[in-house]
Amino acid sequence: MLDKIVYGNVTVLNLIIASAIILAAIFIDKLLTLHLKKSLKNKVNKAHLEIIVKVVYYAIIAIAILIVLSMLGIQPSGLLVAGGIAGIVIGFASQSIVGNLISGIFLIIERPIKIGNVVDIDGTMGFVEDIRIVATTIRTYDGICVRIPNEKVFTTNITNYFANAARRFEYVVGIRYSDNADKAIQIIRELIEVEPFALKYPKPQVFVHNLGDNSVNIVVRPWAPSTYWYDLKMELLWKIKKTLEKNGIEIAFPQRTLWFANELKSSTTKKTESGKSNNS
Amino acid sequence: MMTSFYGTHEIPVKIKNEKLYIDVEKTADNLIYKREYAGEKIEKLILSSEARIHINPIEPVNLPKEITPYLLIEFEKPLIVGPRQTKDAFMTFPVEIGVYISDKRNFELIDILALAKKKFTLYGEPQNGVICKYWRSDVYTSEPLANSHYEGILNLHIKNISNKWQEVTKTVFNAYGMKIYYSEKQVSMRANMKILSDATAETDFIDSPLKKKMKKSLELYTLRKLPIVSAKYIMQEGI
Repeated sequence: MLDKIVYGNVTVLNLIIASAIILAAIFIDKLLTLHLKKSLKNKVNKAHLEIIVKVVYYAIIAIAILIVLSMLGIQPSGLLVAGGIAGIVIGFASQSIVGNLISGIFLIIERPIKIGNVVDIDGTMGFVEDIRIVATTIRTYDGICVRIPNEKVFTTNITNYFANAARRFEYVVGIRYSDNADKAIQIIRELIEVEPFALKYPKPQVFVHNLGDNSVNIVVRPWAPSTYWYDLKMELLWKIKKTLEKNGIEIAFPQRTLWFANELKSSTTKKTESGKSNNS
Repeated sequence: MMTSFYGTHEIPVKIKNEKLYIDVEKTADNLIYKREYAGEKIEKLILSSEARIHINPIEPVNLPKEITPYLLIEFEKPLIVGPRQTKDAFMTFPVEIGVYISDKRNFELIDILALAKKKFTLYGEPQNGVICKYWRSDVYTSEPLANSHYEGILNLHIKNISNKWQEVTKTVFNAYGMKIYYSEKQVSMRANMKILSDATAETDFIDSPLKKKMKKSLELYTLRKLPIVSAKYIMQEGI
């Protein structure tokens, strides 16, 4: 069974060994890169460390592929020539498809976005549903699927809201000038402290940002896990408003104090008139 | 304190304290599970007439939502460990309670509750850090007293293999690999923290109880997930 020839001189056993070599290479790669990260952590700059790890990772994979190719009777040089010619032919025939395909390969290698991330690609915002070799599918918040060619994904600006583990958001809470801002800050801090998704670290910022026309403006900047920040944002502001009001602190609204010039004049006139009558 | 809270319970089950109420009762052919805690009510219909209820502490990373497998414990006061020294310290960790239903062989988690405070934090910087369940604890040189429904006791075996004095302010653990033991009065874990350098340490768990008669909790993270993730955690963003 294992000696059965699949093609040329390649047997089933050769195919099994080739698969085993690839799997072993991936396993060794994982171990080695983990070891490199651990041992070089404090010795090499972070950016350089990433490059070293990537070079080692792909070098091992490349060596494994070369070994496997020679085992399967495929000459890499021949493959390159054949691939080059095929590439030119396909490139001329369908430029955009090849462009998307190459972009797709780079997207998969570079991984600026991952499946499940919330992203904004050229104005289309939503969850990454799938990254295929030619196109990427985005599910918008309205539940609509948008298929974007990979060439566009690769060349346009991408905002990835899930790229980092945590993110910050901001509220501005305007209270009356007659209210105690220190007390308001303390209440807001306590509310943030009891919210599980408002992160302990990085510490939230709560401070008087400016003295506005109608209110003392307190800026509230909590951090939350990137995956749950919007849930927290939706809940926290209303809790702040209700708790502040419960403690006698009101949210200020625009108001103007008007002084009437006529009122002042009429009172002056009255005084003058009464003075005149007294004299007479 | 409630008596015989943790462990196996034959149905009907009624557990009550000032905040928590668990009730499992038989109807004609089925079971009804009811739980009340802090104004939250849960009721589940179990389509089985023969079952047992197991209550035991589980890995404390499930509530309010399971968003991370990591637990960070920040120390009230920093620990200073001398070069090439090995020391033991005690601290507390939050307890989450798992309610399982079982027949003779199979266990199924039907409810999770936590009486302790729930909070998350970021370990590291936003661009490369990880979200962790957060807990703050004092550090003790001997076993502290703890209410087993709220918090457990962690025996941390700290080994400084570097040639410097090291200040430790926190520790991070991976829930995959937590070995929780319990008795009626105590919940405990034992763990190692190997300090490798100024900012790096490795943590893992010791699979043995703090006291002889303690029972091992059902491991949620090996019951539900494939054990492909390493049980160790390498702290690379400071200790």
